[in-house]
Amino acid sequence: MPCKISLRYVTSVVENTSNEQVGIAVTDEQALITALKQRDPTALAAVFETYADRIYRLGMNLLHDEQHADCVVQDTFLALIEHIDQFEGRSSLGTWLYRVGYNHCLNQLRKVKPSLELDSLDEPDMMPVNFNPWPAPEEMVFTSEITSELERAIATLSPALRAVFVMRDIEELSTNETASVLGISESAVKVRLHRARLLLREQLAPYFGEQFEQTGV
Amino acid sequence: MECQDLIKYLSDYIDNRLDEALTRAAQEHLATCANCHVVLDSTQKTILLYRQRDQQNGLTTRHYQSLYDQLAQAFAKKPEGDL
Ligand SMILES: [Zn+2]
Repeated sequence: MPCKISLRYVTSVVENTSNEQVGIAVTDEQALITALKQRDPTALAAVFETYADRIYRLGMNLLHDEQHADCVVQDTFLALIEHIDQFEGRSSLGTWLYRVGYNHCLNQLRKVKPSLELDSLDEPDMMPVNFNPWPAPEEMVFTSEITSELERAIATLSPALRAVFVMRDIEELSTNETASVLGISESAVKVRLHRARLLLREQLAPYFGEQFEQTGV
Repeated sequence: MECQDLIKYLSDYIDNRLDEALTRAAQEHLATCANCHVVLDSTQKTILLYRQRDQQNGLTTRHYQSLYDQLAQAFAKKPEGDL
């Protein structure tokens, strides 16, 4: 495994928020946490099954690198194992895992770009400029061309906008959960989501507008 | 409602967060404004496309298993509570 396991970032984010629930709930979370504390292997398997792919996708969307995304999953779950005895359930397990995973992503991004600015909201509000209609959903089959177009478009978003879009629109966390994971207010989540959606749409509009013209649907 | 307002409320409209009066005003605008209708439609398709794309993404089976095995080992190694 290529990851350098480091848990020093984790302690500060443990248990710092209120009693929110991640929508994608593991049933009877309290029982699950108790089982984790008792080192019940089936409990670890259940948590891993529920969250491993989600944390991986968060890593992929923020880092665009499979190996780094693998590391984010590994480090996140190692942090859980390390800290489970102190876990008091003030935040839900899902929120906690997302928060740790997100912080690992940020640390990775900062290694590449130490000056990474995350909380800047100075990006001005944009108005749409491309009004070409898009093809019907059934026309938009996932070709490798579409996949790489989606890749390209999301990479143009700042990490702050990308994180909100991934959590709210892809992973379908609530506004409250997303705010709690990112440590920002709910209104900041809403503002960023709005910008992210409009920017992505605008990035994709030339491609899908042309698709529409070609197919004539 | 003008185009500018519609765009300002677009996300709240998609998320069903507008009150009744604003929702109605938005719907009336959308019925007559082709541009805003396209923006709404394409924004919804944008969300849908990314959601569908990521449903197909996850750890590969091989990585899933090897990661899990390593974690299970680390998990088993920890002492059981404070004795
Ligand atoms: Zn309009």
